[in-house]
Amino acid sequence: MQQQNIWTKLIRVDRRILYLILFLNIAVFLMFPFKMPATITSPARGLYDAVDSLQPNDLVMISSNWSASTMAENQPQLEAIIKHLIRKGARFTLVSNEAQSRDLSKRIAVGVTQSSDNAEYHTYGQKWAHLGFVTDLIAAIRGMGSNLSEAVKQDVEGTPIDQLPVLQGAKSLKDYKMVIDVTPSGTLPYWISYRPPNLIVGYAPTSVMAAEGFTYLDSKQLVGMITGLKGAHEYEQLMGETGLGHKFINAISFSHVLILLFIGLGNLAMIMARRAQGEA
Amino acid sequence: MQLALDMSRDGATWMMAAIVVLAFLGMFGLVFLLQMLSTQGRRAIVVAVTFIAGLIFALEFFLPAQPVDGQDKNFLSDPTLQIQNFLQVVAGMALGLGTYGLLRLHLRNVVQKRAQWGYSASLLISLVVMGFLSIWHSLGEKNVEGQPLVATNETAEYIFSVLFNNMIVQMDAAMFSLIAFYIFSAAYRAFRIRSIEATILMATAMIVMIGIVPLGKAISEGIGLPAELPPEYAKEPFSLTAILYSLKLPTMADWILKTLNAPATRAIEFGVAVGGLATAIRLWLSMDRGLGV
Repeated sequence: MQQQNIWTKLIRVDRRILYLILFLNIAVFLMFPFKMPATITSPARGLYDAVDSLQPNDLVMISSNWSASTMAENQPQLEAIIKHLIRKGARFTLVSNEAQSRDLSKRIAVGVTQSSDNAEYHTYGQKWAHLGFVTDLIAAIRGMGSNLSEAVKQDVEGTPIDQLPVLQGAKSLKDYKMVIDVTPSGTLPYWISYRPPNLIVGYAPTSVMAAEGFTYLDSKQLVGMITGLKGAHEYEQLMGETGLGHKFINAISFSHVLILLFIGLGNLAMIMARRAQGEA
Repeated sequence: MQLALDMSRDGATWMMAAIVVLAFLGMFGLVFLLQMLSTQGRRAIVVAVTFIAGLIFALEFFLPAQPVDGQDKNFLSDPTLQIQNFLQVVAGMALGLGTYGLLRLHLRNVVQKRAQWGYSASLLISLVVMGFLSIWHSLGEKNVEGQPLVATNETAEYIFSVLFNNMIVQMDAAMFSLIAFYIFSAAYRAFRIRSIEATILMATAMIVMIGIVPLGKAISEGIGLPAELPPEYAKEPFSLTAILYSLKLPTMADWILKTLNAPATRAIEFGVAVGGLATAIRLWLSMDRGLGV
């Protein structure tokens, strides 16, 4: 009878206790991060190699379409990608199809470029710029594919596109080498479908959206993909950097284990409670 | 010189304001005109505009293009570009319509003191304060001839920063993070292994959830499985080292994602695409019943 009570109690445990256990698990691993190397997946390697093969002053478009809700995954990805672009000396522009992302991505780009050793990136507009918020991504991609300055006109600071030093010599998306879509939404098919054919595409989705990317990886329409925070961690590992991915990944790792352990525990409790009921 | 610069800036500001006002007047005029027509008349206009707009985009996509000024174009390419710019403006106006709808609903709640009208009041105050500060901030970022379009105010910028960076962003992130706690609780209570299918699902979830994170690599290599794929893999795919490598959690997780998950996703996407095409054709030909005119 005593045993039955324990298992039944375990099944009916107060959800606040579960929340507290998960909270403590996350908090401990965030407060005391340690290095745990990841297996580098081929999609992450693909994106890294594509960016790494860029030449100085090659132009890259970063499509940043996320809001604060997916910040934990998309911010480490965006930071890692920008750091790599700076390391390669590539020029880059950001564009947002999400209203919050206009400010969030600019703030992150300012933070990463200002803290970089490469002084060329310290002045906004020289090696990078933010083209602002676009309401309709398909229309924007098609427009930028034909004529950049017609489609966007001004950057976030109101400077006409054709006066930005970073975009000198760039008339349309055809003059870009690569686009990287950092997104929690289904914007990837738009870039795949409407981009100029010469523009290679990289993808940085949240974990739940990654399944969509494998289709395009198989068809070689994507050069690579970094999946959520885990992908950012792999990318940082390839770069030899310690960024947000490294800080957050252990909390994710051990949360996965915790969830599986508790699923097992829940099932064990159910079996034992039934068995005890049968014996009674 | 400074005077000329000021006049140029003032001119640009007035021009922008005039364009915005005229666009709004035009839009409301059009809506008013449509309201004046009979239902059949409205429907005829909407059907015709929908069909012509769809036809232009379809033809532009399918008609062969010739290189013109380094770009592949046909005779519809330039008009389509203008239409796309117009679409961006229309999509922007949709925000205005949404705001109008919100204001109308919640103002009514407050004025009539309906149940929980306090929430409506809080929404209205937040909307007005954030909207005002946000527009001020955005205009302050814009430069005309090296000068800000609108003079910024340090206090207003500080309040905007507190509201946006320290409140909206944090609350949005926190709201989404709560899902992890619900998933944890729901998985513990509801995920019961009662059938073969549930067992397979559980085993797959275990492999993928552990295999994709660094812990999977640490566990696999901790029990002695090889860290790298042996170089002789191409010649001897069934060598002991190759088999042991295949048993690593990250390798199995990768295989599940690429070989099992990707084809299933592709099939779903294919179905969705065919459904989307059918819906697009129905919309284009105005075959859907609820046209709302």
